[in-house]
Amino acid sequence: MNAATATLAGLYYDGRRPIGAPTTLVLAGKGAVLIGAQISQRLATVELRVSPRIGRADRFIDLPRGGQFQCADHPLLDRLPQEVRTEGVVAWLEQRVAVAIASVAVILSLLSAGYFYGLPAAANYIAMRIPIETEDAVGRRSLAWLDENKWFRPSQIAPDMQARIRQGFDELRDGLPQASRCRLEFRDSPVIGPNAFALPGGTIVITDAMVQTAESPEEVLAVLAHELGHVERRHAMRHVLQDSAAAVTAAAVTSDAASLGVAVAGLPAVLAQTKYSREFETEADDFAFQLLRRRGLSPEAFATLMERLTRKQQDAERAFAFVSSHPVTAERIRRAREAAKR
Amino acid sequence: MALAFRGSAREYFRIWAVNLCLTLLTCGIFSAWAKVRKKRYFYSHVTLDGTPFQYLAQPIPILKGRIVAAVLFSVYYASGHFFTALMPYVLVAGMVLAPWVIVRSAAFNARYSAFRNMTFQFDGNYKEALKTIYWLGLIPALVVGSMFQWWGNIYAGSALFALFGFTFPWWLRRLKNFIVSRTAFGGEHGELSATGGQFFKVYFLAGLIMVVAGVIAGATGAALFASLKKSPYAFVLVSLPVYIGYVLAFAYVQAGISNLVWNRTRLGPLSFESTLRGRGLAGLYVTNALAILASVGLLTPWAVIRTLKYRADHLRVRQEGDLADFYGSETTAVRAAGAEVGEFFDMDLSL
Repeated sequence: MNAATATLAGLYYDGRRPIGAPTTLVLAGKGAVLIGAQISQRLATVELRVSPRIGRADRFIDLPRGGQFQCADHPLLDRLPQEVRTEGVVAWLEQRVAVAIASVAVILSLLSAGYFYGLPAAANYIAMRIPIETEDAVGRRSLAWLDENKWFRPSQIAPDMQARIRQGFDELRDGLPQASRCRLEFRDSPVIGPNAFALPGGTIVITDAMVQTAESPEEVLAVLAHELGHVERRHAMRHVLQDSAAAVTAAAVTSDAASLGVAVAGLPAVLAQTKYSREFETEADDFAFQLLRRRGLSPEAFATLMERLTRKQQDAERAFAFVSSHPVTAERIRRAREAAKR
Repeated sequence: MALAFRGSAREYFRIWAVNLCLTLLTCGIFSAWAKVRKKRYFYSHVTLDGTPFQYLAQPIPILKGRIVAAVLFSVYYASGHFFTALMPYVLVAGMVLAPWVIVRSAAFNARYSAFRNMTFQFDGNYKEALKTIYWLGLIPALVVGSMFQWWGNIYAGSALFALFGFTFPWWLRRLKNFIVSRTAFGGEHGELSATGGQFFKVYFLAGLIMVVAGVIAGATGAALFASLKKSPYAFVLVSLPVYIGYVLAFAYVQAGISNLVWNRTRLGPLSFESTLRGRGLAGLYVTNALAILASVGLLTPWAVIRTLKYRADHLRVRQEGDLADFYGSETTAVRAAGAEVGEFFDMDLSL
């Protein structure tokens, strides 16, 4: 330590009463002297502990016998022993405007890289390594819950029709990696309307209204191919992984806004979830178009069914219709036609 | 005694940006250090009679607390989604743990908050916390009720709802009283003289605000009934009074409860005067939300600073006796605060 000297005016607190006594601290090399009305003390600088710099706030120096000295920030204080060593670096970074701008740039690029690429890729990597059997219990319970709570009723579709669809479904899934896990269920649901779902674990449910809306077996198979895409691409697992990771990241990033009671703090997580479920739909569509073509069927059936569903929805305005849970319908119809031409 | 908040949005922006960046780069581990830096900033820029407060906590206990919280949350999440058979046990364990969490985090925050070389203290214990939060068994009844879906029965559901609605203000008073009366500085414990009826009044008026908003929304809906089916904008117009009513009621409750607790609290020779206004807070919430939204979050530090400044501007501390009434002991020495870091259960569970 060099022989820098400084005279700091401040307040002395004895630790017994919250009353400050005007005091002066004189730093000279390795020694220091505290001079005030209450106290006069000779100290060695190694005995002192200085609180971390934060903004322009006053700093505190802990003295050997339990006393404390408060004074305005001074460059010389950084040369004294610090209460917390590691915070000096962060405090140094925090003082620089350029560092703050660079930080914002890093934050924005990290978040967008994670949002557009990193998170989906990581979730895909992990999901493909978790056996689909782990989802069985969840899927079975969801179906039981939907049955018990009257969302679903037993299907009214004629048995021979069901058998025909099942046969087509079996041909469709034949040879797919998760073929043995895929199971088809028919249900009637006036509340839900024309729709089909892939539940976790590989159970695919198609509603009677959807079967009735379809005007040909190819159209039913087109919908089932889309649902098979959800199963094969492990969307249920990826959904859980991506949504929870996005929610945790968003919570970390918006913790300050959330502490203000600002409702918009929840927005990033919602946006991410919406984006990811759209991506899953597109992926399942692409999977379906390829699968249909491999089986000698045309994706055109998908387009015609979607068009009919859209018209029906405009007539009926059902809240849970297939079309509203599957956004940007016009775009999907266009892609299906494109795939059919190839 | 003058209370002032001297933080600046520019300064806090730099702290926010650097710490958020480091948190993201370290996959969240740095968040404990970031919390310390932010709390230090807020504490040391609040001055009472010219002296800043001090936040003394170290990051490691905070990190420990966050890891524990993450594990507990994962168990809760997994039992809710994958192992539902375990759910009742997890809920019971959660109810047993909750008072402990409240006591530990209150004690942690008090011990690591200091003013003029003396730390605060919180000496509430588990048993008291248990009795306070499970007063009359209301919350256990709520949890068990939702487990067995008692709400399904319309009469039982509305009876329970009414019961909770009317007892909640008294429950909240007990909770606030527990926190205030167990918090001490320099040997003096806080005293809260607010009554349950005063808490009830705040919630009752907030409820009236919601009712008025509902009536206005209903009237607009009736007036626009014809166009409601055609235009989605008509729907927005109808729900607008509900949103406004909700924000106003929320702000009114925040202001009312804050004012009530501060104005009825004494700490040794000190009393407090809080003059928050529901309208002022509501304006703050709305402008903060708009600013944060429009700036993609970059104005968050500015919103934080102006909110703290607003709160500090509306709180006065009155000295009605001798400050020497506060008398510190060995346990309230700032040095003693650091000594407990090695203790296993010394962790911050408040997020």
